[in-house]
Amino acid sequence: MISFELAEPKTLNEAIALLDAEDPEVRPISGGTALMLMMKSGVFRPSRLVSLQKVEADYSRIERGSNGSLRIGAMASLSQVEHSDEVRRVAPVIEKTMRHLSNVRVRNVARLGGNLAHGDPHMDLPPVLSSLGAKAIVAGPSGQREILIEALFSGYYETVLKRDELITFVEVPPQAGWSSSYIKCTTRSADDWPALGIACSLRIEGGSIGDVRLMISAATEKLTRLVSTEKVLRGQKVNEATFERAGESAMAEAEVIGDSRGSASYKSELVRVYVRRALRQAGLGETQP
Amino acid sequence: MNQHAKAISFVLNGSKTEMLVQTHENLVELLGRLDLYGARESCGQGLCGCCTVIVDDVAVSGCLYPAAFVDGKTITTIEHLDHDVQLSPVQQAFIEEGAFQCGFCTSGFILMTHKLLEQKPMPTDEEIRDYLAGNLCRCAAYPEIINAVKSAATKMART
Ligand SMILES: Cc1cc2nc3c(=O)[nH]c(=O)nc-3n(C[C@H](O)[C@H](O)[C@H](O)COP(=O)(O)OP(=O)(O)OC[C@H]3O[C@@H](n4cnc5c(N)ncnc54)[C@H](O)[C@@H]3O)c2cc1C
Ligand code: FES
Ligand code: FES
Repeated sequence: MISFELAEPKTLNEAIALLDAEDPEVRPISGGTALMLMMKSGVFRPSRLVSLQKVEADYSRIERGSNGSLRIGAMASLSQVEHSDEVRRVAPVIEKTMRHLSNVRVRNVARLGGNLAHGDPHMDLPPVLSSLGAKAIVAGPSGQREILIEALFSGYYETVLKRDELITFVEVPPQAGWSSSYIKCTTRSADDWPALGIACSLRIEGGSIGDVRLMISAATEKLTRLVSTEKVLRGQKVNEATFERAGESAMAEAEVIGDSRGSASYKSELVRVYVRRALRQAGLGETQP
Repeated sequence: MNQHAKAISFVLNGSKTEMLVQTHENLVELLGRLDLYGARESCGQGLCGCCTVIVDDVAVSGCLYPAAFVDGKTITTIEHLDHDVQLSPVQQAFIEEGAFQCGFCTSGFILMTHKLLEQKPMPTDEEIRDYLAGNLCRCAAYPEIINAVKSAATKMART
């Protein structure tokens, strides 16, 4: 690794001012777990890193709104999110996902904002938060904007964030009446990066699917919402036949790419099976009060 | 010293410490400069836990932790566990159960076990496996390690 300037602003606004809209060698650093790997391997050589470690504590807070929504600061560590009672009450699928996300030490250090901004399509939280309908609050020199997590990624390791924008909060809408699941499939060791991730949320009304959000990750170039398969599901009865039809539909819809964890045709077959399983888990699981 | 060096201060194993670090240094390299070799870099990718260090009460992988980030923080390394001239119950249990062969992974496993037992004084097998999933023992002393964790839990419950 080579030396670089490390800026340690005390406020988020100063941090934004230290970023550079044009210069790819200037980047924010939150936990540093992803960036350290990239710097050690020489994939990324910064001229300046802007650390978010010392910005206001507001950006590490987790709060539950009176309507049952959640607001999580982008600088909250993944462990903090994992062990938060507020998070568990609104969306227990997040805690379950954390258990198999990397390991304790990485979760202690990595921050929610870094996890989302990294843009690696193999990561677990982007599909889960998207299926919950969550959005990122993003701040830049000209103010604030909101981006649905499902719309945050523009390609392989690419996001729609500008170089001088920071994720400040993540907001999860109320989940009353919804039931969610996430399954990742690893094809080598249990803790390997997934060959496929499927996240889904179902709103069940009188034994039928009132609404659904279905996300696929890891097997596709970027996180993708399976819009056509959602149409196949809406209004249908919650039963095996419905899940099976959705699996077939997802297999046809997803633009799967092959890699060292499985060929495209193998992963397509995985999509069929895992969409069915994820729907079954959510469909038979308890909905949120 | 180049222009990017940073002056930092932190509490290391109970003593206030001040030093200059390079921005590209990681925590294992910083400790090595202070002759503390218990945390060592092996995979260098956050996967194996040989570089485990406690920073502000949580376990981190020193190999992925920028040294400059410890400014203002409190650090504990494996070298501190016997500061009162007695091995900790976890260290004692690892010896009694023979929970290592070469010992390269041991300091990481011991620090992680301390953290686990702080949170869950009587962990189940599954909880032990979950918590230690990010620690690798290339000599595969896993059964003995699990026994050592349980034995340490029993020792600590008695005191
Ligand atoms: C051993 C290991 C195993 C892993 N296993 C898994 C796994 O199973 N599942 C999984 O999902 N992930 C896994 N990861 C990835 C891990 O989740 C990420 O490394 C981590 O979440 C990144 O967060 P960070 O705070 O450390 O980011 P950093 O390294 O600080 O930053 C990552 C990127 O985000 C940018 N950034 C940081 N904060 C912000 C912000 N607030 N706004 C805008 N941009 C920002 C940075 O510029 C950089 O481009 C693993 C990582 C390791 C090291
Ligand atoms: S050397 Fe740091 S985790 Fe393996
Ligand atoms: S004892 Fe040799 S690596 Fe664990």
